[in-house]
Amino acid sequence: MWRKLLSPFARLFEFQAKTHYRAERHSMALTIGIIAAASVGGIVEIAPLFTIDDTVEAAPDMRVYTPLEQAGRDIYIREGCYACHSQMIRSLQDEVDRYGPYSLAVESQYDHPMLWGSKRTGPDLARVGEKYSDDWQVRHLVDPRDLVPESVMPQYAFLLETQLETASLPDRLAALRTVGVPYTDEQIENAASDALGQSRPETDRADGVAERYGDATNIRTFDGRTDLLTEMDALVAYLQILGGLTDVAAETQPARGE
Amino acid sequence: MEMSHEFTLVLAKSFGLFYLIALSIGITAYAFWPSLGNRFDTAAKSILDDEDGPCR
Amino acid sequence: MTQLKSGERQLAMILSGLVLLAGFLLAAAGHGDPMGVHGWIVVLFAAVILVVAMRALDDPEPTEDRTMSYYDDPTKVGIVIALLWAVVGMGMGVWVAAQLAWPDLRFDAAWSSFGRIRPVHTSGVIFGFGGNALIATSFHVMQRTSRARLAGQVSPWFVLLGFNLFCIVAASGYIMGVTQSKEYAEPEWYADIWLVIVWVVYFILYMRTLARRNEPHIYVANWYYMSFILVVAILHIVNNLAVPASWGGAKSYSLFSGVQDAMTQWWYGHNAVAFFLTTGFLGMLYYFLPKRAERPIYSYRLSILSFWGIVFFYIWVGSHHLHYTALPQWVQTLGMTFSVMLLIPSWASAGNALMTLNGAWGKVRDDATLRFMMVAAVFYGLSTFEGSFMAVRAVNSLSHYTDWTVGHVHAGAMGWVALITFGSIYALTPVLWRKKTMYSWKLVEWHFWLALSGTVIYVFAMWNSGITQGLMWRTYTESGTLAYSFTDTLVAMHPYYIARAAGGALFLAGAVLALYNVVMTIRRVPDHAPHLDYPTNSEAAEPAVPAGE
Repeated sequence: MWRKLLSPFARLFEFQAKTHYRAERHSMALTIGIIAAASVGGIVEIAPLFTIDDTVEAAPDMRVYTPLEQAGRDIYIREGCYACHSQMIRSLQDEVDRYGPYSLAVESQYDHPMLWGSKRTGPDLARVGEKYSDDWQVRHLVDPRDLVPESVMPQYAFLLETQLETASLPDRLAALRTVGVPYTDEQIENAASDALGQSRPETDRADGVAERYGDATNIRTFDGRTDLLTEMDALVAYLQILGGLTDVAAETQPARGE
Repeated sequence: MEMSHEFTLVLAKSFGLFYLIALSIGITAYAFWPSLGNRFDTAAKSILDDEDGPCR
Repeated sequence: MTQLKSGERQLAMILSGLVLLAGFLLAAAGHGDPMGVHGWIVVLFAAVILVVAMRALDDPEPTEDRTMSYYDDPTKVGIVIALLWAVVGMGMGVWVAAQLAWPDLRFDAAWSSFGRIRPVHTSGVIFGFGGNALIATSFHVMQRTSRARLAGQVSPWFVLLGFNLFCIVAASGYIMGVTQSKEYAEPEWYADIWLVIVWVVYFILYMRTLARRNEPHIYVANWYYMSFILVVAILHIVNNLAVPASWGGAKSYSLFSGVQDAMTQWWYGHNAVAFFLTTGFLGMLYYFLPKRAERPIYSYRLSILSFWGIVFFYIWVGSHHLHYTALPQWVQTLGMTFSVMLLIPSWASAGNALMTLNGAWGKVRDDATLRFMMVAAVFYGLSTFEGSFMAVRAVNSLSHYTDWTVGHVHAGAMGWVALITFGSIYALTPVLWRKKTMYSWKLVEWHFWLALSGTVIYVFAMWNSGITQGLMWRTYTESGTLAYSFTDTLVAMHPYYIARAAGGALFLAGAVLALYNVVMTIRRVPDHAPHLDYPTNSEAAEPAVPAGE
């Protein structure tokens, strides 16, 4: 049996030995030529960006996403929200007037991956945080056309019924730390508990969140349900922090006087 | 590790430019090399009749 | 299977057994996660192949001398699979388009939202339809232009079926919400690793076949296919660098963040356009168009120059997706400059194709297959011009984020990529299956006009909607406030979204006709010649490859 199974490999070696290849210079030259021609552009454009920290504006107040917000971000990715919503306000007057100060590089420095987007079937969301109430966001996600009759956005009512999976959050935060987000050991250990705590104000867990992520953290029952920590909680927590990780954009770009 | 942003920028840009020039010269020379003309013509025509199997 | 020797059948068995095992591992590790479901999909896929290989294990050895003929079976299967993906992918496209016009067509399920099925559409048409067509035609072209048989019996199947396993895992993943959110690179880490393995085998196969060639010069179509294989490998590996959250789940986090990630993503994204959707299909064009027109390419030298031009210039242009963003200005400017320069080699290619047809216009008029290729070259010229134009910063400020971009992509994808593919498939099908003719030329003619009108309707609808939306966004009232709310622009888009869905539906109808026509050709049209390739000369009686193969 073994002999029969191994025989094709034996043939493979024989084949290598027996076959006489012409010195194949042409296709090798072609391969090297293509790689040489095609790699330069990428190297020249991308490599300097990894030294960009020298030049971008510093944001000492920049904070990381809480576990609940990060879980919401993962849901945002899972549902493909980025296909219709950008998170990048360009430095054009009408965009600044419509959406707020233009986006700075530092604001997405903890975004693995970035969600700048490429298409605005719906409006930009880079600064949507705190623009609407939690209640508005929940109702809008449950049925967009209830609040905006012209909307073409899909309904996401099921988020309000689905329990948020928090067990994997420590792993996820740890992976994010591996790629460069400065989560502390304590933050990683308590990730699952903090996710629940952020939507349960006035509890011990909530105090832990404030202690680890700062007093400015939004600690609210985002979806209005106290019986269950839902995916809606996470997504709304994420939406409400968009544009709110640092104030550097608002500070460096004073609003245009009317 | 004195790789400042400015330095890598200058390096990238100047290297890129020289590379562009060298590559275009090389390719133009190859494409118009007189002795290769026949080979190109043969190759261009050879595909018109190739359904008769591998010539072994 | 009948063409495989027993050793090769065993190898096929072992390989599918290994994949089966990998599937079990994936299913076990990812229990309770979408990754587990993917494991079972892999198991099922591998099991089917394993059964096929096992049942053929004791079949008699092939009798004919295989070195005498080209190996076309993988190409045949690839063409049919490509057409199936075309119908699925374009069907999804029509559905997502309809959802934007009538959002209730989503039917309230979690999996059917626009965000989840849009990547099924994009991956379905780009990788499923385009990728299979590229692999299948590259097998055909590399053998013909080298006048040598494929360098392997099992590896072509491994490449073709392995690639389709990747496509299936990708598409089913999106529906379950498994995505990296990187456009056109959505599949998660395990699918990415699998694709790398498949791709390496593909590259080795191509190199080995070229090494067997009986022509001194490598025909230029192969250059284009080679650049497609090579550069896609580089792009794929770099852009998909990520750290999985755990080995037991699908979720991973990109190694890059923020502005670096944006640049890497669009370096990938635009070069997926360049090296997946352009150079590979130019390889198709440079083979099938001269072949069908029965005239050599107008200028072979020009084809070489434009090849290097495209390979070199394209790689720079990705940053034009990021005008006015937080990306440093100098990178934006570089991207813009190269995008404009890119017009030269692009138009050289399109012009070269059209000049080849000069003197054969009678054929173009009568033969819908050649007309597919001609119109494809025209759309290639148009959409590359449009692309260079849209990469200019001032134009981009209007077009970016709007449907104009979508229209531009579809002018390229439908007008150029799909039309050249359909043209090539119609040219290839009778040759591959040794049939006198296609089942129905009338249907080809119908397909041509359906595809053309669908594309034109789609592109015009998106131009109108994109420019309207871009202008509305930036319109101010006399008192200096924005004139239109975002919702106002949505209302203005509605009629164009309906027109777009209609255009897409016409195009889809054409693809269905193509599938039907090809299947009927295989089943109904009488054979043209015996099922055997004959060698050209008497020396061919001596096989150059040892009998041990």
